[in-house]
Amino acid sequence: MDSPEQFRFIEWPMPFLAIVQVDLQNLFKSRMTYGWLIVGVFLQVIRVLSAPYIIGTSIIVVQGLSDFIFIWSMLIIGITASAVSSETGELADSIMSKSVKRHDYIMAKFTSRIMYVMTVYLLISGVLVGASMRMLENDYDMNGLVAALLLVALALIMLTILGVTLSMVTSNTVISIVSLLVLWYSMTIFLPLLDLEFMSPSSMINELPDIIQGVWNGEEWKIGTSFAGISIIAMALSVLYFSTKDL
Amino acid sequence: MTYVVETANLTKIFGGKLIAVNNMDLEVEEGTIYGFLGPNGAGKTTVIRLLLGLIMPTAGSIKVFGEKMNLNSAHLRKRIGYLPTDPKLPNKMTPITYLDFVGKLFSQTKDQRISRLSKLIRSVGLLPSASREVKGFSTGMVTRLGLAASLMNDPDLLLLDEPTSGLDPAGRKSTLDLIEELDREKTIFVSSHILSDIDRICTHVGIINEGKLIYSGSIKEMKKHIQSNVLRLELDGDMNTFCDRLASIGGMAAFERRGNFTVEISFVSDTSTLKAIQDVLGLIVECNLDLISMNSSTSRIEDAFLKLLEEEESRGFTRAV
Repeated sequence: MDSPEQFRFIEWPMPFLAIVQVDLQNLFKSRMTYGWLIVGVFLQVIRVLSAPYIIGTSIIVVQGLSDFIFIWSMLIIGITASAVSSETGELADSIMSKSVKRHDYIMAKFTSRIMYVMTVYLLISGVLVGASMRMLENDYDMNGLVAALLLVALALIMLTILGVTLSMVTSNTVISIVSLLVLWYSMTIFLPLLDLEFMSPSSMINELPDIIQGVWNGEEWKIGTSFAGISIIAMALSVLYFSTKDL
Repeated sequence: MTYVVETANLTKIFGGKLIAVNNMDLEVEEGTIYGFLGPNGAGKTTVIRLLLGLIMPTAGSIKVFGEKMNLNSAHLRKRIGYLPTDPKLPNKMTPITYLDFVGKLFSQTKDQRISRLSKLIRSVGLLPSASREVKGFSTGMVTRLGLAASLMNDPDLLLLDEPTSGLDPAGRKSTLDLIEELDREKTIFVSSHILSDIDRICTHVGIINEGKLIYSGSIKEMKKHIQSNVLRLELDGDMNTFCDRLASIGGMAAFERRGNFTVEISFVSDTSTLKAIQDVLGLIVECNLDLISMNSSTSRIEDAFLKLLEEEESRGFTRAV
């Protein structure tokens, strides 16, 4: 017979996993996902095909990755900033009235949205990198290329976490979307004023060509650490806040 | 006596502006069907959300199954089933996938989930639609699926928030039938503003008005509370002669005609009531009238409810004491 401890270990992740699974199913079945993937892949293929051979891989990859930071980030903001607020009405009724702990719910939302954004990012950037490596002059360093992809991934994870956090705090989809749009796009303007330019997504993009070519200057660590730090702090505060919030 | 739900001085104020629940002491005994009655906006749903630990009380305490309920009491919610008013279900799910999802939220094993959902889909009459997406369901079907979801964990306490709201008469009847069929060992807490529903299925009743519990007890005691001994008769024939002769019957306090066919008769006391009713019925026969219907207002929960509301409001400032 199972001891109570073993039983608890087995049952703990089930509500969390159930919410992740349903959320991912809903996201991947949506037309928006198909649209995003088709348009995203098409644009990257066109970008690579239309580039003259003398333009190296590093430039085209950076151009493609910057799409995620400046264009697709709007879509990510829409998807993440509605994660909790869009289901506030039915949230309490359908999910939280069951045997679900608050941290299970909010962690499941973070997990599903991060998994979704990362899957789409990896698919589109995979096409971009693959096509560039085959068709353009290779001026990349493999470690640098991986590091660049990881840095953009970290930036998108940070954006996703901030989106879910705002969605939970405001409980209003429109307010959370507008707030996150302002926050994301104003980082480029305000962070340099605070001597924190390295934390802005646009300065990260400026660093990427060197990183891809294997030229390291230490900035990449600062960028990565700051993105990871902001993500962890926002996630921890969200869990704490959601544990005491009236639904 | 074991109480499944106990609240002490329960108070909820939203945003420092709206007093939704006002110093409420509520006790629900194990095994009862407790009707929670109140006008729209009285605070019924807020009380249910407090009992579920979805919102925190501003003051006071809540105990469910003898344990303090709070926002993270998932282990207590494991023993509670909840049917919200107008359940919102994921449109793209079918009854099977939705109930399976709910079972997972209760950490049930696959075997438990499959066996339970098959039984429930059949009992709520959704077998023909079991693999159809929820988005095309009628209000009645959604309510039945919501009821099945609330029973997925075989709860000891069932909280039903206006289960017949928005249903047509047939849907209402089938929902009430389903509730009546539930295991008698369960404690059921049903909120509603439809008095006849409460009268039909509940053993106990609590009345809430402006966030304050103004009555809590058995339905029988509540009905006794009015004891006005009024008989309503609906008759066809020469009502004028009948009314002229009615005044001469002893034991009768007053009578009043309501429209062309109805007369309401009040009796003086319990002891003379039976004799007076016999005389009234005799008079109906003598006047050659057809008796279309007859009912006593002492049995009408509506009257008891309204009387309690009136009494409570007439107490004015003393309500605060």
